[in-house]
Amino acid sequence: MTDKLKFDRGTALSIFKSDRMEDVMALLAALAIVVIVVITVPIS
Amino acid sequence: MTYTKKTPWTLIIGIILAAYAWLIHQGHLNVMMEALKTTKLAGEMYTLGYIFGAIGIVVGLWQLFYKHKSGHADYFLSTVGGALLIILCVFVVKFGAEPLFKMWGAMSYKAIGWDFAKTLGFNYILLGIITGMVVVNVFKVPDWAENGVRLSRLGLKTGVILLGALYSAAELAEYSKWSVGLIFVFVLGSVGLTLWLGRLRKISNSMGGVLSAGLGVCGVSAAVASAPVVNAKSSEIAYTIGTILLWGVLMMFIFPPVGRALGLTYEQFGAWAGTGILNSAQVAAAALIYQPHGIETLKVAEIFNITRILALPIIVLWLAVWYVEREQHAVKVNLLQVIVGKFPLFVLGFIVLFLLSTTGMFMPERNDGKGKYMDPVKAKALKDEQIVALQEELPRVAKPEEQAALQRLIETKTVQSRADDVLLRDLASLETTSKPAVAALKDAHKNAWMTAPRVAWFRDVIVWFFAFGLTGLGMQITFKSIAQAGGQPLFIGTVVGSVKAVGALIAILLLKDLINP
Repeated sequence: MTDKLKFDRGTALSIFKSDRMEDVMALLAALAIVVIVVITVPIS
Repeated sequence: MTYTKKTPWTLIIGIILAAYAWLIHQGHLNVMMEALKTTKLAGEMYTLGYIFGAIGIVVGLWQLFYKHKSGHADYFLSTVGGALLIILCVFVVKFGAEPLFKMWGAMSYKAIGWDFAKTLGFNYILLGIITGMVVVNVFKVPDWAENGVRLSRLGLKTGVILLGALYSAAELAEYSKWSVGLIFVFVLGSVGLTLWLGRLRKISNSMGGVLSAGLGVCGVSAAVASAPVVNAKSSEIAYTIGTILLWGVLMMFIFPPVGRALGLTYEQFGAWAGTGILNSAQVAAAALIYQPHGIETLKVAEIFNITRILALPIIVLWLAVWYVEREQHAVKVNLLQVIVGKFPLFVLGFIVLFLLSTTGMFMPERNDGKGKYMDPVKAKALKDEQIVALQEELPRVAKPEEQAALQRLIETKTVQSRADDVLLRDLASLETTSKPAVAALKDAHKNAWMTAPRVAWFRDVIVWFFAFGLTGLGMQITFKSIAQAGGQPLFIGTVVGSVKAVGALIAILLLKDLINP
C-alpha cells in the first residue's frame, strides 16, 4: 500500500498537511511547555 | 477515512507504563535499579510512567469502546498509540538497555581492556534509533501505530525550539561567528559541487536541483522544499531521499567513534556534525550519541544546523533562478514568495525562546549564562577539615584581595560573591597553594554554583523530545527507502557526502583551538 492510500491527511512523514503547519504546531507545543515550566517550577 | 483502530494495544501500553511507575514508586524494583545503577532516575521513571500510563489508559479505553467516525478527534487521537509505542521503546532503552550495555562495557574493559559500549556509543539514543529501525524493517510498524510514528518530526522540531531557551547571548554570538562562516562555505560548496557533478554526469536539471538542495542544505526537508521550484518528479525526490538517508545513517554511526578517537571536545564535535552530516535529524542523533547525558554537543550542533536551515530560502531561490535559466518551459517564480514561503518557521520559534531567555525568566539573577547561578544561602557549606586546610593556607596567601576572599570563605563556609569566586579560583590555580586547600577551594566553587531548576527541567524535557523524535525517526528509516538510492544520484551523493564530511573535519581540526570557548 502506498503512503497516499495509507494516509489521506498529512504526508508520509508528518500528520500535518504542510511543513509550515508542523512548524506552527511545534511552536505552540514549545510555548505551552514554557508556560507550564514558568508556572510550576520555581526560578531558583 | 477512519484512522482509529479498535486495538487493545494503546490500553495495554498504558497499563504497562502505569504499573511500571507504581512498582518503582513503591520501591518494589529497588534491587534491580541498584544493580543497574539507575536509582537516581527513579523520579523521572515514575513521573513519566504515571503521565503516559494515564494517557494510554484513557485514550486506549476510548479507542476500544467508542464508535469512531472520521474527523479531527479520530485523526489526532489515533496518533496516541504510535506515540506511546515510541515512548515505551525509549523507556526500555533508556532505563534498561543503556545501563545493561554500560555494565557489559565495564566488564569487557576489565576482561580485554576495551569498553565496547563507550567506544561504539551504545547509549539510549543510538539504541533507540536501532530499535526503531529493527521494528520497522524486521517486524513492521503495526497498523494502529503508523499514524503516531508520523509525530516524530514534530518532536524533533519542538526539541529544537525549546533548545533556544538554553543559550546565552555570548554563547550564541560565539558559535554563530563560526557557524556562519563554515556553513556559508560548505552549503555553497556542496550545492555548487552537486550541480557541477550533475552537469558532468548529464543528469536532468530537476534531478540536479533537488539533489543539490538535499546534499547542500539540511537533507530531506531541503530536498522536499526545493522540489516544486525545479519541477522535480517524485522518482527524483525518492532517489534524493534514499541517498540522503543512506549517507545520514552511515555518518550517524561513523562520526561519534571517529570524534572520540580524535579526542574532539563536545564543541568541536558539535561543529563537525552540524557541518558535515547531510540530514538535520542525524545531526541531532550524532550529537546526542556523542554526549547522551548532557546537551553541550547538541547545542553547538544545532547552531550549525540552524544556520544552514536558514540558508534554505536563499538556496531555493538560487535553484529557482538557475532552473529558469536552463529550462525553456520553466515558469518564472516570484522571488519574495519563494523566500517567505520557504522560511523555516520553527527556527523563528528557536529565536523567540532565545529572546524569552534573555529576559531572565528562566534563570535567576547572578547566573553564568549557562544555566548555573550563585546562591550563598542555599550553597552547601564546606566541611570542618576543609576549613582547617584553608586556615593553614591563609597566612601563605600573598595578594591582600585573595586573602580577604579566603577569610570570608573561612568565616561563612560558602563563597559569597562572583568576585570572591574569581579570586578563589585564581588562588586554587597557583602552584604554591597546598593540595588540601586546592581541593577545598574547588569544592567551594562547585557548591556555590547551582543549576537553575527551570533550566534543569528544560534539559530533561528537550532530551525526551529528541529521544522520542529520533526513536520514531528510526521507525521511518526503511531499508526499502534507502535502497531507492542508486545510479547517478548515489554516485554524486557519495562524492559530495564524503567531501563534506572529510572537509568539515579538516576545517574543524584547523580551527580546533578557536572553536572551544
